[in-house]
Amino acid sequence: MVDVAVIGAGQTKFGNHALGLKGMWAESTENAFASIDGDFDPSMVDEAFIGSIAFGGGQIGNTAALLTEHTGMDNIPVRRVENACASSGFAFRDAWMAIKSGQADIVVAGGIEKMNDLTPERKRFWLGVSGDTEWERLAGLTFPGTYALMARRHFHEYGSVHDDLVNISVKNHMHGLDNEFAHIRKDVSFEKAQSGFMVADPLTLYDCCPTSDGASTVILAADHVAKKLTDDPVWVLGSGAGSDHLALHDRPSITQLIATQRAATSAYDQAGITANDIDLAEVHDCFTIAELMATEDLGFANRGEGGIFAREGRGRRNEGQVTINPSGGLKSKGHPLGATGTGQIVEVFKQLRGEVEASRQVRDANTALTHNVGGSGATCSVHVFGRDLK
Amino acid sequence: MSSNQCIDWQGNLACLQPSGLVLKSRHTVQGKHVFGPDSDYTTLAISGLELLSEETEINQINFDSQIDSFVMQACGYSLDKEATWNLICDSDSASISICKNELVSWDVSGTEMDEELFTKMNDAWKEEMNAVSQGAFISEQSYRSGGPSRMNFNSQSLGEIRIWPPREMIGDQRPIAAEPMKKSGKIESWTKLSAGGAPSEFSLRAPILGGICTVFVRLDEGPCGVFLIADDEDLEPVIGNSVTFAVRKIYAQDGLIRYGLKALLS
Repeated sequence: MVDVAVIGAGQTKFGNHALGLKGMWAESTENAFASIDGDFDPSMVDEAFIGSIAFGGGQIGNTAALLTEHTGMDNIPVRRVENACASSGFAFRDAWMAIKSGQADIVVAGGIEKMNDLTPERKRFWLGVSGDTEWERLAGLTFPGTYALMARRHFHEYGSVHDDLVNISVKNHMHGLDNEFAHIRKDVSFEKAQSGFMVADPLTLYDCCPTSDGASTVILAADHVAKKLTDDPVWVLGSGAGSDHLALHDRPSITQLIATQRAATSAYDQAGITANDIDLAEVHDCFTIAELMATEDLGFANRGEGGIFAREGRGRRNEGQVTINPSGGLKSKGHPLGATGTGQIVEVFKQLRGEVEASRQVRDANTALTHNVGGSGATCSVHVFGRDLK
Repeated sequence: MSSNQCIDWQGNLACLQPSGLVLKSRHTVQGKHVFGPDSDYTTLAISGLELLSEETEINQINFDSQIDSFVMQACGYSLDKEATWNLICDSDSASISICKNELVSWDVSGTEMDEELFTKMNDAWKEEMNAVSQGAFISEQSYRSGGPSRMNFNSQSLGEIRIWPPREMIGDQRPIAAEPMKKSGKIESWTKLSAGGAPSEFSLRAPILGGICTVFVRLDEGPCGVFLIADDEDLEPVIGNSVTFAVRKIYAQDGLIRYGLKALLS
């Protein structure tokens, strides 16, 4: 079967953008096209998948057609992919499957979200549209609340403490400090992160990612095409995905995400590797507790030991076996919902090719992972990438 | 009932008498009984009927238009103008009586509530009634179809497994309707959301209350659920502690008050 490579990747800065959807998508896609080493033209793209929640409802229908017509991909099959915050992780998986199936040779996967052009009141309506509206929202829950429930339960079951989450926040802000694409680039001290404003007890402001505008674009190609367009492809070694009950109260446990475990198992199996082989991982830290649980669900830490993993700083850049969120993660880089998944892949593409700022480069980076979660864990995609085909 | 018996019941004050009961809100302003942050005549009515039902089976009752008939129906009480039981709202205070015959009056002192808080909450509820959804919302149809589960813990069963909230499953996984579950459980986790972290449906009242508290509860019959704290009590929940449940107002939108079960901390 055909192998699939990422041959180009680009994004906008995540944060508050003056640009609208079309402008952000154009900038992101132009950056991705420009990153392709060989002679490439947008008309070579066979199909496109664009992840977005369509936050705010401004362009909830036919989003992909609107965006691709402005970037030279006229008349090809396109569609918006929606799986909450995991939208573009799944758009990437769809693109990978389109090539794997033999139906396409070059496919664009991307994501986009415009979140900061709404009134605060309108924004509050949209934050939380991906939970169980009828049973969770009626109980006053948005995602800070659901993740806070997970955090307190994890503390209770495993003895993790809020300072473990503080360590994750401090690490991710440190990682994002030199990332030119990051939304929040500031050094956050342990003491400052400890004393943040309470958002959803026990989660403070420093446990929560920001709401960001942004777009990200990734170009995938079949092996025979990839080799003509670049000498330095990043190979997709495994693509896994899973789902779980939407509502927290329907799950057997609220201290682990089954969807992550299923997605990771599948991706590792395809790649023929284990968590021990991963050099860097872009992990979905919409809240610090999400990263703590992900380190367990992805196999970097034993069950219940995510707190110890964070406490010992084992995810810091170039300090442990694996660097967790070298981009700064959602916490620092930002979280433009639909753009986050492919934004993670942009980081991995550049890290594996040695193209990030020298201060951010993970040493000897050969194998990487991206982990993109929808909502409180109802959907998840995990991808494994390598410089070499196994 | 041979004599009057006065007790605290679901956050209210109840006086059981041989021919019925009087139920008052425990909150007072300048000595007058007023509704708490999430109570009204309907929540008092359900609370009173649940207390009476421990000794007497009541299915039909005569009640006036100040009571939400959908909530009554969802909790198993239907309107019958000829019923022997009458539910009477006291228009001068937050009090109801449920009786076959005339009851004796009952004076009891409540807990004085901050008058400014009371006024702000009342104003917020009135404003909330006119709020219009701008995004995710629970339609009136969804709210009504889930009413018996939301207000009475009506559930389903699949073999030995109890299912709540009800799910639309198919094939061999198709559950059957089961008896309502007991209204008790244990706290497995909890959070208090700041005003800024709460859903927009609560945006008018959450700042007044200093946030809203949600508990994750494993019900005694197995299923789990998330619930707001009744009466917006400023108490810190404790994992492992028992809770019971009572019907309260949740939020208002598009001219409709949504009711549901909220957790009473022990």
